[in-house]
Amino acid sequence: MKLYFARKFLMLPLVLLGVSILVFLAIRALPGDPARLMAGPEATQEAVDNMRIRLGLDQNLFEQYASFLWAALHGDFGISIQSKLPVTSEIAERFPHTLALALCSYIFATFIGVPAGVIAATNKGRWPDQIVMLIAIAGASMANFWLALMSMNLFSVQLGWLPLLGASNWQSFIMPTFALGLFPTALIARMTRSSMVEVLSQDYVRTARAKGLSNAVVYRKHALRNALIPIVTIIGLNFGSVLGGAVVTETVFNWPGIGRLLVDSVSYRDYPMIQALILLAVVCVVLMNFLADMIIAALNPRIRFD
Amino acid sequence: MQRSAKVRFNLLSTRSRQLTLALAVTMAALMGGTAYAQSVLTVLQAEAPRSMDPGDHTASVTSTILEPMYEGLVLRNKDLKIAPSLATEWTNSEAGKVWTFKLRPGVKFHDGTPFNAEAVVHSFARFLDKGRGLAAAGRITAVIASIKAIDDTTVEFTLKAPYSGFLTLLTTNTAKIVGEKADVAGKLGTVPVGTGAFKFVEWKSGEYVLEARNDSYWGAKPSMDELKFTWSGEASVLSMSVQAGNADVVYPLPPTFAPTVKNNPDLKLLNTEGSFVYWMSLNTKLKPLDDVKVRQALNFATDRGALVAALLRGYGTAANSPLAPTNPFYDKSLATYTYDPAKAKALLSEAGLPNGFTMTTAVAQRDAPIAEALQGMWAKIGVTLEIRNQESGVWSKTAFADPAGKQADNLASTIASWSSGSFNPDLQLRPLYATASWSPGGANLGFFSDPHLDELINKGAAEIDDAKAKVIYNEAQKLINEEAPHVLLYSRRDLVATSAKVSNVWMTPGGVVTVQYAIKAK
Repeated sequence: MKLYFARKFLMLPLVLLGVSILVFLAIRALPGDPARLMAGPEATQEAVDNMRIRLGLDQNLFEQYASFLWAALHGDFGISIQSKLPVTSEIAERFPHTLALALCSYIFATFIGVPAGVIAATNKGRWPDQIVMLIAIAGASMANFWLALMSMNLFSVQLGWLPLLGASNWQSFIMPTFALGLFPTALIARMTRSSMVEVLSQDYVRTARAKGLSNAVVYRKHALRNALIPIVTIIGLNFGSVLGGAVVTETVFNWPGIGRLLVDSVSYRDYPMIQALILLAVVCVVLMNFLADMIIAALNPRIRFD
Repeated sequence: MQRSAKVRFNLLSTRSRQLTLALAVTMAALMGGTAYAQSVLTVLQAEAPRSMDPGDHTASVTSTILEPMYEGLVLRNKDLKIAPSLATEWTNSEAGKVWTFKLRPGVKFHDGTPFNAEAVVHSFARFLDKGRGLAAAGRITAVIASIKAIDDTTVEFTLKAPYSGFLTLLTTNTAKIVGEKADVAGKLGTVPVGTGAFKFVEWKSGEYVLEARNDSYWGAKPSMDELKFTWSGEASVLSMSVQAGNADVVYPLPPTFAPTVKNNPDLKLLNTEGSFVYWMSLNTKLKPLDDVKVRQALNFATDRGALVAALLRGYGTAANSPLAPTNPFYDKSLATYTYDPAKAKALLSEAGLPNGFTMTTAVAQRDAPIAEALQGMWAKIGVTLEIRNQESGVWSKTAFADPAGKQADNLASTIASWSSGSFNPDLQLRPLYATASWSPGGANLGFFSDPHLDELINKGAAEIDDAKAKVIYNEAQKLINEEAPHVLLYSRRDLVATSAKVSNVWMTPGGVVTVQYAIKAK
């Protein structure tokens, strides 16, 4: 199994290389000229051309990619077209904000979603199950920007309980965490429910009950541990969608993370920044899946990946 | 209590303790609370600053952030009159071709270096250096031929030709005087150094720009200790933020939210005549729009009053001239195309199109409602408007295509807006209607060309006598209106919402909010 993880780890640079080529070509295929956008609408053609030279966009694609790759291998992702700051230092400043928000949402989603799913499964078909599933369906289908704007209006503008924008204190985590965490919460609750329902019908659960174990022990020690495997998989696989959700949530809440940075970078065609951000997202998703695999292996020693 | 907490902490396994600790540290680092003992004015705008160098951007929201830190030789005061700033007096000779400025002595930049003739020369010479490629260079290089220091406190500009808008140009953000040392070190884009009443503290990417009062400022000291600028692309967030007391000043306030602000006693609405003119540029090289009758027909088929009422909630003025009403050369008496579908239909028949025709328009997403409204209005005269609703970067590429590109693309029109904020009609008429300004080199997006108009534009720019210039510009406006290379739509009023506690904040036409003199009641 060590071999499996080692191999997966060694694949990462190859994945990144492939993604870097794709991203590099894809963002240049976008219509829109960063030199024109930076120089502004009243700039003369000469000014736009000068800007293009300054941004290094006058070179052919191969030259541009080669110099990007060479610099990237040395840890230099270039200078942001928009802010003129080094891409790496800007991301280093903003990534912790996104990470903290994603982590809070994950914790929120797990601590609400798993118990809710267990309650639903152990009360299958009765009212607690119906209420939990109703909320889960609503949560999974609600647009998070709408939810964000509504909660901002209620809790900040009308009631004045929570800060409206930014990441200045712990209270400012509450609304973004909720907005970003609602979808994974709903997903985890539904996954936990169906996984638990399946496990609870297994023979070994009946055996455990026959031994005279209490419901609490059966659920926690015998059922949940086995039911957790698909749940961990879902959590791992959904990290990408949480990052995607962060783009919207951060924009609405003025959260100084990389999601909002990505939106701004796309509208300015800030090529170096977009490239670096997407590569970072890929690394995150790959590492998260990797982590999920390891947790699954730890949860169920029978699972072998090789 | 303390002991039991410690014991419980010890009960956790080493690994989970490390994890908890790491988490706590991360959270604590992020949560460093900000407490203000000083008076801070918070300004929330619609977009992030593009640069801290006034010469390297052309965005009005960036100007709002930079204005308190930088000064020009002259300024436009609250009454919108030109007044001395870093220059105390000035003269011109050779019919306005050579300008001499006497500089204010004893002024220092924020980095301690002295302000003198050399600094002024450097601030302008950097635009003339083609290798630099500064974003706003075009504004300077079009006008100024050379600049030299006569002595330590005197500079002399030689213009390419006499230019009536020269002093106005010097009031713009582009013409601010920057610290030479910082500029040569290549740091100005991120760490601004000027002579203004506020000095730079911090630009936290994605969060804010913070400025603090410059205690060694030569002029009157501002009332606020700090200015904090933040930004959000969400229109409803701008409105909520001033309501929640999160921001003291928000700009631009979308007209939809104006009634809410107006009816709230804790807020104030600053509602000033704006300088942004919206129009649809018609491709005069493409059939059937090469026929002036067709272009006029579209103008008669447009109900501008309805556009202002529906899209701007009344916070705008139906356009009758390519110049905004804020422009001193704006001709109010110019007859507009009053809404008259019957006349429009008659004109189309005269042009041999009694059943109308089909045309395309490219519009940026934010302006798409304009296109949809026009589509409805023009359907009544048989004109089918096909809308290409585009993301702003894509739109800018489509809109600024060259004649061959638009021909191949079959692009008949583009919806755009323009502000020549700083009062100079040349900055509006030349880029939008002169033959030399055909896109992509300028913003004449419909390739309009009229030799007599080109002549008028040049004559107007060279005329320093305002009364004589007015005659020339009136003729130019009339000509443009009759030739109708566009469908003029409206000018938008500038709306700013502030807390009722804040006073002495105003809007300069062109979208720059002046906040450095703000006073905030406790």
